[in-house]
Amino acid sequence: MSSTLILILCGTALGVERFPPPDFESGYGLPQTTVPPARESVYEYADVAVLLAALSLSSYLVIRKRSRRAIFALMLFSLFYFGFWRKGCVCPIGAGQNIVLSVFDNGYAVPFVVVLVFLLPLVFTLFFGRTFCAAVCPLGAIQDLVVLKPITVPLWLESPLRLLAYLYLGAAVLLAATGSSFIICRYDPFVSFFRLSGNLNVVIIGACLLVTGVFVGRPYCRFLCPYGVILRQLSRVSKWRVTITPDDCINCRLCEDSCPFGAIRESTADWPRRDYNKSKTRLAILIILLPVLTLSGALATRAASGWLSRAHPTVRLADRIYLEESGKVADTTDASLAFRGSGRQIDELYTDASNIQSKIGLGSLILGVFIGLLIGLKLIKHSIRWHRVDYEAERASCLACGRCFDYCPREQIRLKKMEEGAKDSE
Amino acid sequence: MKTVNDDNSVDVRRASWSYQAALRSAVVGGVFSVIVLVLLVVNYLQIKVLDPLRAERLEMMKVKFIGESTSTELLSEIRQLDLDIRRDRIRRQVFSRRGGYLLLGGLAVFVIGLKWTATLRKRLPMPGAVGDKQARQVRAAAMARWSVTAGLGLFAVAALIIALAPQVDLVEDVAPSYPTEEEVNKNWAGFRGPGGAGISAYTNIPVKWDGKTGEGIIWKTKVPLRGHNSPVVWEGRVFVSGAKKGKRRVYCFDVLTGGLLWTGDVTGTVTSSSGAVDVMEDTGYAAPTVATDGRRVYAIFANGDVGCFDFDGKSIWSKSLGVPDSTYGYASSLAMYQNLLLIQYDQGMEEDAKSRMIAMDGFSGQVVWEVKRPVAGSWTSPVVAKVGGQYQLITCSDPWVIGYNPTTGAQLWQAECGGADVAPSPIYAGGLVFAVSPYEHIVAVRPDGQGNVTDTHVAWSAEDGIPDICSPVSNGRLVFLLHTAGTLTCYQCADGRMLWEKDLDTSFNASPSLVGNRIYLLSTKGVMFIAEVGAEYTEIARCELGEKTQASPAFADGRIYIRAGKNLYCIGKAD
Amino acid sequence: MTEVKDSINRRDFVKGGVRGGFLAGLGGLFGVLIGKTTKNHTVWQIDPEICIACGNCATHCVLEESAVKCVHAYAMCGYCDLCTGYLMPEAKELDTGAENELCPNGAIKRTFVEDPYYEYTIDESLCIGCGKCVKGCNAFGNGSLFLQVRHDRCLNCNECSIAAACPSGAYKRISADEPYLLKKVGHA
Repeated sequence: MSSTLILILCGTALGVERFPPPDFESGYGLPQTTVPPARESVYEYADVAVLLAALSLSSYLVIRKRSRRAIFALMLFSLFYFGFWRKGCVCPIGAGQNIVLSVFDNGYAVPFVVVLVFLLPLVFTLFFGRTFCAAVCPLGAIQDLVVLKPITVPLWLESPLRLLAYLYLGAAVLLAATGSSFIICRYDPFVSFFRLSGNLNVVIIGACLLVTGVFVGRPYCRFLCPYGVILRQLSRVSKWRVTITPDDCINCRLCEDSCPFGAIRESTADWPRRDYNKSKTRLAILIILLPVLTLSGALATRAASGWLSRAHPTVRLADRIYLEESGKVADTTDASLAFRGSGRQIDELYTDASNIQSKIGLGSLILGVFIGLLIGLKLIKHSIRWHRVDYEAERASCLACGRCFDYCPREQIRLKKMEEGAKDSE
Repeated sequence: MKTVNDDNSVDVRRASWSYQAALRSAVVGGVFSVIVLVLLVVNYLQIKVLDPLRAERLEMMKVKFIGESTSTELLSEIRQLDLDIRRDRIRRQVFSRRGGYLLLGGLAVFVIGLKWTATLRKRLPMPGAVGDKQARQVRAAAMARWSVTAGLGLFAVAALIIALAPQVDLVEDVAPSYPTEEEVNKNWAGFRGPGGAGISAYTNIPVKWDGKTGEGIIWKTKVPLRGHNSPVVWEGRVFVSGAKKGKRRVYCFDVLTGGLLWTGDVTGTVTSSSGAVDVMEDTGYAAPTVATDGRRVYAIFANGDVGCFDFDGKSIWSKSLGVPDSTYGYASSLAMYQNLLLIQYDQGMEEDAKSRMIAMDGFSGQVVWEVKRPVAGSWTSPVVAKVGGQYQLITCSDPWVIGYNPTTGAQLWQAECGGADVAPSPIYAGGLVFAVSPYEHIVAVRPDGQGNVTDTHVAWSAEDGIPDICSPVSNGRLVFLLHTAGTLTCYQCADGRMLWEKDLDTSFNASPSLVGNRIYLLSTKGVMFIAEVGAEYTEIARCELGEKTQASPAFADGRIYIRAGKNLYCIGKAD
Repeated sequence: MTEVKDSINRRDFVKGGVRGGFLAGLGGLFGVLIGKTTKNHTVWQIDPEICIACGNCATHCVLEESAVKCVHAYAMCGYCDLCTGYLMPEAKELDTGAENELCPNGAIKRTFVEDPYYEYTIDESLCIGCGKCVKGCNAFGNGSLFLQVRHDRCLNCNECSIAAACPSGAYKRISADEPYLLKKVGHA
């Protein structure tokens, strides 16, 4: 080749082939660039089949067979298969983001498998309750494994903490719809354990959650899982519910401490008569305040939308270019250099970023409405007198794990594990 | 064997071996996990902190070895370190993977052991006293209401804090990153001004001055280094460049006083050619004229070094394109379109295939596009002109005259009418591109074609009075050619009919310029011939500077900037 | 008791209605999505024309050994003795000494073919995907070396950490039945 060095520091200049193709005389054959294939689609569909089978089996075990041991075994299988074998991806929790993205972005087509993975657990929950959470979800499984000394989380702590899950869902939908980022996947705390590697911060969060999970049953499922938010609502109207026992409850209170997830509700006492008027007024005020809360939620979130929009790479790039152009920062980043070498115009970038920001602005308005409404409804919920005669598992919160089955004497009798009136003796 | 205690709990501890086994395995699993975790953390720190430092050191050693030393010690050190890094990297990766599995196994044993003991210690449920259920439930509900409200408060506060950060509306509040068409046309931002046409935007240009007496000269200032490049003017600043072997400088003068505001040193990059560059005396090291976009000024020199400075003289970036293979020395001036710096890098013979057109982003120096040109070396400058509403980048070379899309570098049209040793730059006027092939012809090409338009879009060509150095100038109706020997020829743009020619009996290197109906011709002796041109040549004045000139003049509002001898002159009426 | 039964039935009826509503909603969502789905799942690939070889591929992958490796498009290679993707800039000797190699891990193997051509192959077990050779090859050579995601290593995460960190936005999701974006020959 040429003996003079042509020193051209051209950075990103591509596609300029400077040297002609060689003329081999010795019969040398060009090697081929290897292309190890991707995972065949048929295996993806096999995963969906396993998911379907697991969901069916879980529902059967929870509703019909009612055996904690069997549920535990299935849960272990799910942890192994969906967790460690498939490395926790594709999971129904994250699949929702892909679906949201495909609805709002015509350039993205969601793979059919992902749609199935998202919808199947929802359909099963509509009929059988949260049997997905019981024995199929690998994230739930890994948390369930470490539950050792569960404490009861008091209502005043549990209620606002659950708001986090709604916030997470709302933000995830907003950011996925605008093509900014898949935050559910990014901050998935347990997937790094399945993969045995991952971002250090996320690993630490996951480890903390697991350590917390020793004492507070399934903290991610109860307070953070965005998919769980949807499952809660669907589970409320499920056709067949998970019951502590199909027989009548005798109010023996033996199941009170059986649920590590705080889903069992005791029977309610009568409302104190003197509070009737006060509580009626309170309820009325809260109902009137509902639109106020909704509106203020909308405005507050809209005000924070500028910060939310930073999640989008185009907005970040536009900000960086602006800082450079106006002289506020001295050097360039890889991203800004790549942009400048691409030939795209700066005012186009600014316009794009502006458009994305207004989309996120609109989305955060809707998110704010959602949050405001949610808080208002929660306040109303805590002002209404609920009437329960039996001890029952609250449908939305019950994760269908089946631990309470063994605590109920009526259930023990029904399953012939115990004789009516028998005393424990050896 | 179970024993029933006073509180009815069943005590399995003493007897069951399974309990002991479970507990012990939990302890073993736990301790094992802790040990593996510590080792993994150490491994992780080694990978993330130690290894990159070693890799950096190896890199520095390699550079040092190549740059300066020939020590065999250093050589063997490098080879050893390279081997060590590679070996350790693989080892650490394997340990990470295996450690991960071991940790998983250890944790599994630990968790299973603990769960087993928990199961074995399970007692019959003994719910506590009922207490005042009513009060409890009422209080729980009340507390829940308050905490939810507190949550709402937190959310609102967080949103407010976030919202207080300052916002910039990127579409409204932000200044454009390149000058508008108007701004470019108001200034003299490159060789031969707006569109490379050599036409002044102002008509209040002086017609009388004298170098000896100083009449009509506002200031005269010395330019430390020589160069044949023309002055470039943007608002309050005048830029010229100068160079000699080993030194390349950009000078910025104040328009009002002629004071030297700053000197910029173009050092190229580490790999710039420091060896001798062959240039002809007539060309010099700083023949190409600088260019500016109103924010930065760009300069290129004979050794292929390109420098960029902001208006305060700070060096923004600097690049080396490699020494161009140019017979007489590189002389193509820079052109600009929006934020792109356009460099016509023609070299060698056509079959060498070395010639390229390079577009760099002005802010960063990143190459945005680069296209090969099927031409030999040339000494013309590229021209950016608005053709039918769209801008075109027009070049004249040997043998092709090519029109490009300046944004993408896509070739729009080409006509085979250039010639060897071409120095006159093309111009666009009256709907036509005028390109000169020295000693051969001038052609008028219609630039609205596509592909090879040699046979279809050449409106006319003519052979009288063809210049070898000076670029043509045209007001759209008439086009003027100035020969080095002193002949000014006038053609009609529409049909190429020669109207007249005038012999001025002196030599010219600077290209002619037009101010309205007046033509300004600057001779090598420093004499400016000013004449009204139309159907005939009517001389108005001859102004002498008294110094030799090569560079074409620059025109601003009521002023002319001429680089003559070692000086830069500002001609006009002092006010 | 009939009263209680009736009220239970009413509640059940409302619940059934809501359930039906949810089912209809899910079905509607499914219907909307049908038009927007693809049969195959998607995998990640780098667009070699956009990639600037910044080095993030080596550090941002969730796997310890990045799934992105340098790939050689042999048909585009010039087989030069002075390979600017293999050798350090201004290397003293054009040989395989560690002091001359650009690759920090020595992953490129150079073998003599015939005068003056040398073959360069990449040892994937040593390549970390840092892109130094890619930069050198693009700037000075034919650009036959480029970084690409290898599907026998990539986990195909839904949100690729490297894709999120890519400064030039070179990561694309492409259909798994044609899962590679390779550089093609462009010799005139």
